[in-house]
Amino acid sequence: MNKFLNRSLQFKIISVCIFANILIFMVNLFLLFGINNMSKDMELVYQDNRSLNQLSDALTKVQDTMTIYLSSKTSESLEDYYREAQKYADLTANLNDTVTDLSFNRMERNIKYMSQNYLEEVAQTIEAKRGRNVEKYRTYYENSTRLYEDIDEYITSLNLELFVVNSENYLELFKAFRRFEIVAVVVMTLVMIGNVIIITGFVKTMIMPLKNLADSADEVANGNFDASLPKEIYQDEVGIVINAFSKMVVSIKDYIEKLKESMEKERYMQEKELLMESHLKDAQLKYLQAQINPHFLFNTLNAGAQLAMMEGADRTYQYVQTVADFFRYNVQSQKRDVTIRDEVTLVDNYIQILNVRFSGDIGYEKQVDERLLDRVMPSMILQPIVENAVNHGIREMAGEGKIILKIYREDKHICISILDNGKGISQETIDQLLSGKFSHDSDSYDNNGIGMDNVISRLRLFAGYEDALDIISRGENKGCEVIVKLPMEENNV
Amino acid sequence: MLILTLVFVLVTIVTASLFFGFYKADRVKQAEAVSYDKYYVMITDNYKSDFWQSVYKGAKEKAKEDNIYVDLLGEQFSKSYSIEELMRIAIASKVDGIIVYANETLEMSECINEAVSEGIPVVTLYGDCTKSDRISFVGVGGYSIGRMYGGQIIDIIKEKRREELLESETIGERNQVKISVIVSADTKDTGQNIVISGLQDAINQDNVTDSEFAVSIVAVDNSNSFSVEESIRDIFLEENIPDVIVCLNELSTVCTYQAVVDFNMVGEVSILGYYDSETIVNAIERGGIYSTISIDTNQLGEYSVSALSDFYEVGNTSEYYLADVTLINQDNVGNYRKEGEQDE
Repeated sequence: MNKFLNRSLQFKIISVCIFANILIFMVNLFLLFGINNMSKDMELVYQDNRSLNQLSDALTKVQDTMTIYLSSKTSESLEDYYREAQKYADLTANLNDTVTDLSFNRMERNIKYMSQNYLEEVAQTIEAKRGRNVEKYRTYYENSTRLYEDIDEYITSLNLELFVVNSENYLELFKAFRRFEIVAVVVMTLVMIGNVIIITGFVKTMIMPLKNLADSADEVANGNFDASLPKEIYQDEVGIVINAFSKMVVSIKDYIEKLKESMEKERYMQEKELLMESHLKDAQLKYLQAQINPHFLFNTLNAGAQLAMMEGADRTYQYVQTVADFFRYNVQSQKRDVTIRDEVTLVDNYIQILNVRFSGDIGYEKQVDERLLDRVMPSMILQPIVENAVNHGIREMAGEGKIILKIYREDKHICISILDNGKGISQETIDQLLSGKFSHDSDSYDNNGIGMDNVISRLRLFAGYEDALDIISRGENKGCEVIVKLPMEENNV
Repeated sequence: MLILTLVFVLVTIVTASLFFGFYKADRVKQAEAVSYDKYYVMITDNYKSDFWQSVYKGAKEKAKEDNIYVDLLGEQFSKSYSIEELMRIAIASKVDGIIVYANETLEMSECINEAVSEGIPVVTLYGDCTKSDRISFVGVGGYSIGRMYGGQIIDIIKEKRREELLESETIGERNQVKISVIVSADTKDTGQNIVISGLQDAINQDNVTDSEFAVSIVAVDNSNSFSVEESIRDIFLEENIPDVIVCLNELSTVCTYQAVVDFNMVGEVSILGYYDSETIVNAIERGGIYSTISIDTNQLGEYSVSALSDFYEVGNTSEYYLADVTLINQDNVGNYRKEGEQDE
């Protein structure tokens, strides 16, 4: 059985089909054989009656031909007589002469002997006729006629008897035939059911591993690589597929494991790198922080300022004081929002410092609506803009550079405009700046580290709309204007 | 599970073929029958009567022991044949032996002689044909039956006398007891005469004066099947209805009994019957028939077969075989019944 189950799927399916067919074929053959046999029996039922009728006919012919010969004495009739007598003798010779319980057997025997007697009698009659022994052949004729009648009667009786017996037989046979029919139907049904069970069973045995495989595949597809893999039961195609599947699942599992491992490694490396970077930054910050310790710086600058005052250097005193104020603001303005006034003061200080640094090169003009100075705005906005304008706009203009700061009201907005007459900015750069895609050089020394993108994003956050800052440049060397638009709200006092 | 199903299917097929095999065997068995070495025929005048059927049964059973089959010839034919015709058929059939209910006619003796000349032994049964070459006669003692009847008649006469003594004063007023013996009209059956003479002898020996009884012989026409019954009824239509009617065969007994019942003469007419068929025994129980003669029919059959077998074995056999006869009347009918039941 196992040997069979280990054969190929094709072989198995074909052999199961062939087996089922052979079974059905056998049953059919058997039924056909049975029916054939029975119909043969049925055919033979009245065989006896038919042969008896033949016998009777032959007997009558013998009697008739004899009578014709006796009356006409033609050689033809004699020939006829001989032929018929021979035929009748042959027929009677076939009769059975055993004595049994069955009356028709005994009758058959009696008919046989009577017929022999009769034929002798008839032969004697013919002989006497040929010898022209009138007296003798008359007696013989009478004798044979009597015998003829007796035999005929006997045959008729036997026919009747046989008919009765045969009718019974026929009925019996017919019943048997009906029974056989029922048995045939039952056998066919049973065999069919058996066949169905066998085929279903075999197919199930063959398909079950496939089903298990599908289930496992589903499970694997759902991500459970630890799903129990179906065991390969038989060495057929399904077994091979199961084997391959198992191998595949195992190798996928291995592969995923490896991938995971390498990813883990990579992630670890990245983390390490990032950590190092942040540590570096932290260190830098701490270093810078240490450098610009505000108290130290103010105290230092204040000391410088007092020194200048004692020496009577008013301008130096003024300058150092401004620088101190400038840095103080930088340190103080860690808080988010400040007044515009503070911002303007910071710009003033910044320009003053720059003018000392670059010896009064930058022209600075203010057109300020004093009423707006107490309004709130984010800190560290204007100074970076001005710084930008100085650095990129008017740095190289040597004394002709000019910055105009305007603060005015426009509709519901407070507008702060910083206008320079520098070399201007290309529209491309403006777009880049406004969309925050401008990559600025963060490592340059001449700014305090706050880029335009930072300014723009803080402004937008504060104002709550996109056009909080606008840059207008009228072309090459025609200067640039940066307009900050702040919301003019009632509570914004 | 699969194996089980497979086994089941195979078992079904095997069972079905076995069923078919049995069916075939059954049919073959049906066709087979015991075959016998010898074949005798029994020829009687009326194969349907209880009497002959009973004799035939006895003969058949006895013959079967020796693997011989006895056929009751005539049964099979749709046409009814006379005994002589049946004899000729039997001779033509070359049977091994003939048992025939013969008579003393010339034709019969010719038939028997022809059979014997053909090498077929013939035993006459119940009726003899003394002038023929038959090897043996099997029958009942007609004379002793007659004596039995006579004894019964004497009983009846004595009973009447007693009754009359009580009723009448003088002997002269006594009535004569009229006895009628119904015999077949054809005188072929010599057995009848022997019975009658036995009967008369018995009465005469018992000191009964002639004046007390008168025996008359009524011949009934038995030339055709229904005439017997008609003839018997004629007796009752006459003026002098006999006191005792003696019947010498089964048919006339039954007919007489029926006539007595029909004419409402039960008790007035005593019937002395013949043979112990169911009807007759029942009638005795009811008192309709005074007594009857029971013949051991089995023995008749057995004797006829053993006569033929003896002939084949030894070359000759005894000339006469006599079967037992017993009288049945109301006194012993109960016993007889019991025996009969035990036999069956």
